[in-house]
Amino acid sequence: MQHPARRYAVIRAVRLAALGVATSLVASMAFAGLGHAEDLLAKVKAKGELTVGTELQFAPFDFIEDGKQAGMNKEIFAEIGKDLGVKVTFLDLPWPSVLPGLEAGKFDMVAGPATITKARMERYRFTSPIADATVAILKKKGDGSITKPQDIAGKKVGSGKATAQLAQLQEFAKTLSPEPTIQEYIDFSQSYADLGAGRIVAVANSLPNIAFLAKQKPDVFEVVEPPFGKPVYFGFIGTKAEDAKSLMDAVDKVIIAMKHDGRLAALQKKWFGTAMSTPDYVTEASF
Amino acid sequence: MFNTTIIIKSLPLLLEASVWTVVYSLTSVAIGFCIGTLMCAARLSTSPAARRVSAFYVSFFRGVPLLVQLLISYYCLPLVGINVPSSVAAVGTLALCTGAYITEILRGGFLGIPAGLIEAARMVGLSRTQILTRIEVPLAVRFTLPSLVNETTMMVKASSLISVVGVLELTRLAQNIATSTFQPLEIYLTAGAIYFVINGVITLLGALLESRFQLEAAR
Repeated sequence: MQHPARRYAVIRAVRLAALGVATSLVASMAFAGLGHAEDLLAKVKAKGELTVGTELQFAPFDFIEDGKQAGMNKEIFAEIGKDLGVKVTFLDLPWPSVLPGLEAGKFDMVAGPATITKARMERYRFTSPIADATVAILKKKGDGSITKPQDIAGKKVGSGKATAQLAQLQEFAKTLSPEPTIQEYIDFSQSYADLGAGRIVAVANSLPNIAFLAKQKPDVFEVVEPPFGKPVYFGFIGTKAEDAKSLMDAVDKVIIAMKHDGRLAALQKKWFGTAMSTPDYVTEASF
Repeated sequence: MFNTTIIIKSLPLLLEASVWTVVYSLTSVAIGFCIGTLMCAARLSTSPAARRVSAFYVSFFRGVPLLVQLLISYYCLPLVGINVPSSVAAVGTLALCTGAYITEILRGGFLGIPAGLIEAARMVGLSRTQILTRIEVPLAVRFTLPSLVNETTMMVKASSLISVVGVLELTRLAQNIATSTFQPLEIYLTAGAIYFVINGVITLLGALLESRFQLEAAR
């Protein structure tokens, strides 16, 4: 109780801080009211910045290397940013909050990428596909009991909860006898850990992801060729809103140009070890 | 199997992220303390309206999971035109949530102040605000310090949830590194150790403050 003056200073500082928070709240509310339904591409260009929501836990597309974002997304978006003449800023969020964030207008589009499926196409606008997303099996290195996808019959396999990959695994499992037991994981890294620990014998995920993992840990994991799933593709995601159309068209133009001049193939080779052929547009998803 | 090089390599990054954990949680506790003081004064005031507002505030922020509060503030408020940036949503929600708990902690402390003391303060001509800031809050803080330290350590841990609104903190970075290096065990153990140290320091500071208060009381 010896320093009343100091205590007043603290109280004053707290009052000031409270005022600051209140002011910024009001200011951001005012901002939100402006510029609604304005063309998204024009807005991005005016701001000089394209904000992209993603999750930095999706190697080889988006991950962390020495504390910095690395992967294929960053390199594709660098080309997109160059073409549009804007800076690209990524915002890292847990995947379940990425699509709600897009709909709440927190960012202009989503990297991901996500598998282009029928259900998702109804709600979102996908870009031209950037990679093959067909689902394949990952097994423990040297597991002789699994040499083709059908060998998972009657065994315990894992996949990610609420993913398009899981849906494909479930469909494939129905064709096998006896049916495999499917363990669902919140994220794929847990399923890889369980595969490494021997709690499950295989993980079903898109080929680019497990091929990258097997390349990173060649003495632990191995990919079972060929993929078992229906041919599907990975694309970036935007909204179907009328004001987002110009931006999505512009992004498509860059990706398709990259496909035709070999830049995309070079990136695929760098990150997946092999180039993949993808169509310019996916008008109807197979799954 | 256990890889120490990945720990050494990731430690500077994890420490950098833990600075954000500390900044976000302590800022929220500081703002939450101010909210808690006001709400506690309202709860104990003679105005029925103020009492009702305070009771509703506490029951809402204590009754709804913090994760849901964060999702509402970031993803649902924009639908009604309130679009706050990630950092504001994070600090605001954490502060409002911890403020509700602090309201109740302080209420316990306020109720422990002898009525005669307040009457005496009124007699010597102190205003209502002066009584609150110079007598009631300092005394209530002394009475409730262990619970307040407890709440602060809870907030340090609860701040691991703010990544859902796009704020980078210790847990999020640990997850990112773990999934990028495929070495979850080492990274999560390191992150856990950092949380343990942060809360150890907070507990220690609380203990120091407590012994200082005891010295003052003995004087």
